[in-house]
Amino acid sequence: MSSTDDQTITLVSNDNVSIPVALKVAERSMLIKNMLEDIGESAMESPIPIPNVNEQVLKKVIEWCEHHKDDPATAADDDSDSRKKTTDIEEWDQKFMQVDQEMLFEIILASNYLDIKPLLDVGCKTVANMIKGKSPEEIRKTFNITNDFTPEEEEQIRRENEWAEDR
Amino acid sequence: MRGLVPRMAAISTANAPYRASPDPEGDSQSSSSNSPARQDYEESDFYTGNNDSQSSIGVPTFQDMAVSREVCEPPANRLPPEVLISILSKLSAPLDLLNCMSVSKAWARNSVDLLWHRPACTNWNKHGFICRTLSSPNPYFAYRDFIKRLNLATLADTVNDGSVIPLSVCTRIERLTLTSCKGITDSGLIGLLTDSSHLLALDISGDKQITAASMIVLAENCPRLQGLNISSCENISNEAMIAVAENCRYIKRLKLNNCKQLDDSSILAFAKNCRNILEIDLHQCQMIRDQPVTELLVNGLTLRELRLANCDLITDAAFLNLPLHQTYEHLRILDLTSCSRLTDRAIEMIIDVAPRLRNLVFAKCKNLTDVAVNAISKLGKNLHYLHLGHCGQITDDAVIKLVASCNRIRYIDLGCCTHLTDRSVTKLASLPKLRRIGLVKCSQITDASVYALAQSRARAHDQNVRPGDRFPHHPVSSLERVHLSYCTNLTLDSIVILLNNCLKLTHLSLTGVVAFLRPDLEPYCREAPAEFTEHQRNVFCVFSGVGVTGLRRHLNSIPNALGDMDDDQTMTGMMGAAALNAADEEDGDADGDEELEDGDNTGPFGGMAT
Repeated sequence: MSSTDDQTITLVSNDNVSIPVALKVAERSMLIKNMLEDIGESAMESPIPIPNVNEQVLKKVIEWCEHHKDDPATAADDDSDSRKKTTDIEEWDQKFMQVDQEMLFEIILASNYLDIKPLLDVGCKTVANMIKGKSPEEIRKTFNITNDFTPEEEEQIRRENEWAEDR
Repeated sequence: MRGLVPRMAAISTANAPYRASPDPEGDSQSSSSNSPARQDYEESDFYTGNNDSQSSIGVPTFQDMAVSREVCEPPANRLPPEVLISILSKLSAPLDLLNCMSVSKAWARNSVDLLWHRPACTNWNKHGFICRTLSSPNPYFAYRDFIKRLNLATLADTVNDGSVIPLSVCTRIERLTLTSCKGITDSGLIGLLTDSSHLLALDISGDKQITAASMIVLAENCPRLQGLNISSCENISNEAMIAVAENCRYIKRLKLNNCKQLDDSSILAFAKNCRNILEIDLHQCQMIRDQPVTELLVNGLTLRELRLANCDLITDAAFLNLPLHQTYEHLRILDLTSCSRLTDRAIEMIIDVAPRLRNLVFAKCKNLTDVAVNAISKLGKNLHYLHLGHCGQITDDAVIKLVASCNRIRYIDLGCCTHLTDRSVTKLASLPKLRRIGLVKCSQITDASVYALAQSRARAHDQNVRPGDRFPHHPVSSLERVHLSYCTNLTLDSIVILLNNCLKLTHLSLTGVVAFLRPDLEPYCREAPAEFTEHQRNVFCVFSGVGVTGLRRHLNSIPNALGDMDDDQTMTGMMGAAALNAADEEDGDADGDEELEDGDNTGPFGGMAT
């Protein structure tokens, strides 16, 4: 089965909006790619529901896939490499990720669900960059997280991990 | 016909969860990735709905409900653990991870193992804090179980048994690195190894007090071991290593350098029991004879790297005894430095059975002649690296044939091959990927050789041009390191051209060449090594890194330096000089004997015509 450039499929967001997408673009999602391989070409005719992602987020994800449709595929067992501790993000992706926090996390969740590892990776790096250099209180404030430690617990954790503070 | 929606749900749990790094919770990882069996599917579906109840994902229809929930639930709290771990695993600074641990209980659970995966024992202060936590009676987390890698190499000089005892409570260590921890004895190491059944790699190179006792504990406790480096551990017996070979059968990488006490019995045990060996280094294991070498090759069908430097008891028989029908497709690197009993026959045999050899080191195999070089030529494009230093019988004919067959050579050393003349070097200069060439003491060569090397860029192919290169239209010479010490005929004239044409040059050695023993060049010359004698100092002449740049600039500033050249060469020299500015200052001193791993660089400019 050959996936030509002009072949198009239709994705349906969870708020019921149909979005036509070039097959090559949609196949950045391993979830969709594997599904199409499983079911075969006949499935390309019918719309594919993406039950977990709304229109706004799905369009944003498709925009990313469109821009990266010609990226070389990363090897499946390349995980150790992609886990490399770097938070460098290429310029286009940085711009792409300049969205409000709600959208940022929705993109991350959608890329996790759709299994688009490079997008998940960019999303995670973006959040990691928001964390870097911040105190625990600043992190809580940034992401609106409640501190559920008692002061004693927090102190214990700080003490037991003191080596990480030492320069 | 199956419906699309449930089908997708099933696939999603099979493939989706993206996990970075170790996962202590294991709460959402599906156990099998490619068998979405029918009964699993019910569970997966249930699970998906259940786990994601905090997020909009998994709630396909009640969009409004999702909205109302989002008001009270900040998005960061809706991340499934595996995504939070992916985010936290991007953080490298321990302090950032510690700050994340203090945020909330959920964040602490998901960052603690990242922080403790490889605790930094980089100074005694940290070491003390880490040991204090590990010894604490009621820690908040079971920190000891998170430690997977332990490296005390930065404390090596002062580490002793007392400093590792608190660390012995860790039993999940996978990589233990104690390089040059000379103060460690068996009692310290045995504590660390006992019950460490997860250990994959152990490096105790230079820990000379270690004996058989530790190796027996290693054999009994660490069945998963894959990498072992006991270089210079001279007090480990053959019996102990046999025990390791018999019990640690998954060993892949083995470094036994300078273990002069080891004899055939222990190496044979590894050959017999450890069929997965990829790399073995027996440098200076001087008692090793032929049989273990033959057996390592015959049994180790995945053997990639075999290093036998200075194992000078090895004879042709080691290779001539190989069965004729078997080939060793995986063998890439063979180092037989100073295996001086070997003759052409051994080389012919090994090339026949290992056609994909890439790196060959036959330095100081003094019996080798053109016959061996002709055999090596059969490797064709597979050959990247060849060291034939001190193989003094080699002649131009063999080298010329070699270049014709093996045009992907990147590194070649022909030092002390005194029969070689400009004929050889002129050919070698045409190698399109040549980066390093060693011609020390090839005293017959003249400026003609250097001109050939300098002009090689005219012949260089476009493949050499990578996207980062500054002059895609004028392929720059690939030469980086040129060793011409004791090539006594050379003069300044040719070297100026070489410097101006080879802008990637980072190393140029001209020790003992009279024309370069000039005080005005001294400022650019590297400091002679401390152990050199007065005479050696006087003739020492090596330029590297910024020294090369300085030398180039200096020589170009002397009007007479270019005086007696013909017009054509002057032209080339000046063009090179014009291009200089761009390539200046970016070359560090790459003195290490780096492996040249780059594949075929056919970048965006690959197909461009000049």
